[in-house]
Amino acid sequence: MPPTKPLTSAPSPPHAAGGSNAPLVELKAVHKRFIGTHALKGIDLTLNKGEIHAIVGENGAGKSTLIKILTGAHEKSSGTILWEGREIGLRSPQEALGLGINAVHQEVVLCPHLSVAANMFLGIEEQGYGLLRQRAMIQRAQATLDDLGFRLPAAAPLNSLTIGQQQLVAAARAAMRGTKLLIFDEPTAYLARGETDLLFSLIRRLKREGVTIVYISHRLEEIFELADRVSVLRDGQLVASRAIGETSQAQLIRDMVARSIEQVHHKEAIEKGELLLEVAGLSGPGFKNVSLTVRRGEIVGLYGLIGAGRSEFVQCLYGRQPKTAGRVSLRGTPVKISSEADAIRNGIVLVPESRRDQGLCLNLDVGFNLALPIFQRLSPMGLVQRGAERAAVEKQISDLAIATAGRHAQAFTLSGGNQQKIVIGKWLNHGADLFIFDEPTVGVDVGTKVQIYKIFAELLKKGAGIIMISSYLPEVYDLCDTLHVFRAGRQVAAYAAGEVGHDVILGDAIETQGSRR
Amino acid sequence: MSENTPSDQGYAPAPQKAKSKFEFLRGLTLLGLLLLIWIALSLATESFLTGQNMTNLMRQTSLWAIIAIGQTFVIITGGIDLSVGAIVGLSSTVVSILLKAGFPIWAAVAITMLIGPIVGAFHAFGILRMGLPPFIITLASMTGLRGIGLLLTDGLTITGLPDEFVNFSRESFLGIPALAWMALIVAIPAFMLLHHTRWGRYIYAVGSNAEAARLSGVSISRTIYLVYITSASCATFAGILTASRISIGVATTGESWELQSIAAAVIGGASLFGAVGNVLGPILGSLLLTTINNGANLLNINPFWQRIIAGALIVLIVWLDQMRRKKR
Repeated sequence: MPPTKPLTSAPSPPHAAGGSNAPLVELKAVHKRFIGTHALKGIDLTLNKGEIHAIVGENGAGKSTLIKILTGAHEKSSGTILWEGREIGLRSPQEALGLGINAVHQEVVLCPHLSVAANMFLGIEEQGYGLLRQRAMIQRAQATLDDLGFRLPAAAPLNSLTIGQQQLVAAARAAMRGTKLLIFDEPTAYLARGETDLLFSLIRRLKREGVTIVYISHRLEEIFELADRVSVLRDGQLVASRAIGETSQAQLIRDMVARSIEQVHHKEAIEKGELLLEVAGLSGPGFKNVSLTVRRGEIVGLYGLIGAGRSEFVQCLYGRQPKTAGRVSLRGTPVKISSEADAIRNGIVLVPESRRDQGLCLNLDVGFNLALPIFQRLSPMGLVQRGAERAAVEKQISDLAIATAGRHAQAFTLSGGNQQKIVIGKWLNHGADLFIFDEPTVGVDVGTKVQIYKIFAELLKKGAGIIMISSYLPEVYDLCDTLHVFRAGRQVAAYAAGEVGHDVILGDAIETQGSRR
Repeated sequence: MSENTPSDQGYAPAPQKAKSKFEFLRGLTLLGLLLLIWIALSLATESFLTGQNMTNLMRQTSLWAIIAIGQTFVIITGGIDLSVGAIVGLSSTVVSILLKAGFPIWAAVAITMLIGPIVGAFHAFGILRMGLPPFIITLASMTGLRGIGLLLTDGLTITGLPDEFVNFSRESFLGIPALAWMALIVAIPAFMLLHHTRWGRYIYAVGSNAEAARLSGVSISRTIYLVYITSASCATFAGILTASRISIGVATTGESWELQSIAAAVIGGASLFGAVGNVLGPILGSLLLTTINNGANLLNINPFWQRIIAGALIVLIVWLDQMRRKKR
């Protein structure tokens, strides 16, 4: 490609400025606290001008919080942020945009109904006599897309493109706007390899033009292909920041998992009973050919990155999605589960991933939420027996030590941990014996975590079996009797408790060199 | 740089063509349905295809189209304006009162037109500052404004409006009724605003993904003010024209027109989920609704049946439209 004019209209050319050698961004002891969690614990991070700086870490290590602080979506709780040596507050997205900070998010944040060109020019439209210069904008957008080698039609509506193509549009759009710092948050999650190559050539070109790039990805080989430096986040702390030539995939994985494991993972020795669930070759939307068994008294863990197909698998098992192949047997008898009601009748219960969207009626009271699955039992003649309802609800509140002003308090007034206790508690009276927990301890404080793990032990002692999905490796590692690793919709490995180390499991879950076709 | 632009076997213009063809088709089917009904009515009745009836049809269509265009602006942002019928009633009484009080026509109309921006700004304020859903704040106006109109008139009918004012709606220019020209005067700037200015873009952007719009520096609040003021102003204008057409001021004028305007917008292809709609749609939608009423009258169909037919048609047309959208 012959030399081209710069893409971005960033004011100062890269190295021409000469004078200021200050890094573009410096974070000093930046903390971010949310209610109940300490997401960032004193981050010191330096982003040099014109470098591609990769950031890696497990789910929940604090990467998203860090991006949100850099883009002004969240404000830091304490610490200092320097921009070209000058202290800034970074309190709003507008302030970040004004400085030339743009981000391309994992999920495309554009207007699906507008055309590609309209999205690229949204907020910075070209006008003449108060009217839009539509043809000129389409031409310029098309020229930019062609120049980047993206074969995308500028005049087409955005929602006629694939998600991967939309992601490329988002990248081109960010590049077109005066950018000095461009953050890519797992941009390749939905891209095909050809699209990834296009994106990489765009990123390299922006680097040549002096733009600083922050690149977040779980795909370590991409990081070694692209980045100049790589920083590792673990449990809200920056554990290492190295030049790419001085590290290796193995070292990065070790950095990501070597942690101070708090002794919260309560696990009791419980004898395994008979076979409860047997799944053979189950396929459905988002996952393929999954086989596993659950015995009474056993916790089976499903580990993988977000989007690996774990949730899709349990949703199918629970009857929310139709299966395309495979067999499911419960207590030795083949069963056909084609709806949630089927699953519940068969003694399967799902405690969903999002308690706000899927688990609770937030603006109804605690008592209502706890009684919701058993109203049928509480209303033998069609009328709800209020005394029985109150007794059942009060028993759960005291058994689970739910901290609430009472059973009439609305669910949204409770803390995340106590909300989660309601979501779990409402199934405990139901008589199910296979419990599926999808990310049961996300956003839950340590004390409640221990209580939840104790509930697990109680369930197991009563002869239940548990399937637990978690993206937090130490949790599934310590609690599960069998651990299945998922990647890209497939079951890639299975280990008995303690059979291998954290690094092997993380390596299975992440696409490392050789594991990718 | 030039070599990789044109003849690459990229799929560049294809989706765009498919889309515009599709849009054209939808317009066509609605037009096709209209033509079908018109042909059927011309054959079934002697009076349908007469100059008198056609003029009547155009007059009523124009009033509804003006309101439906404003409604479409609101619907594209994902909102709804239930107050337009009440605004028609209020503005028709206010203009009548002012005329009876001896104001010259231009002044009476100008003062009455202030209702639009005031009511529209109130709606936007309620939505943005008080956090009320559009449905609720405009529902409140729908009953409240009706009450103001009844208070102002004591529930009585205002008669004896100046001839010049009343005659306006009966006049024609170049063979086309004055009211239809008024609809055109609303439709053309509305078209330019919606499809050829950045404000039009922002209306779609807010309806499509308000968060993306905000992150792009689009002012959501200005956009919301713009659409609700536009809708209320269209309704005010239609109210004044309605007073001229029926030559009296009655506070209950325009009852249930809010539903007609929503129906017209949706029949015309607007989506209540936002970001879909155009200016031609509500005009065709109004024409269809008026034709159904007019035809049913001419055929002597029980007016109670007319309502049932109109309801069934709304379900049918919007369902067909959604099926077609899904296939794409």
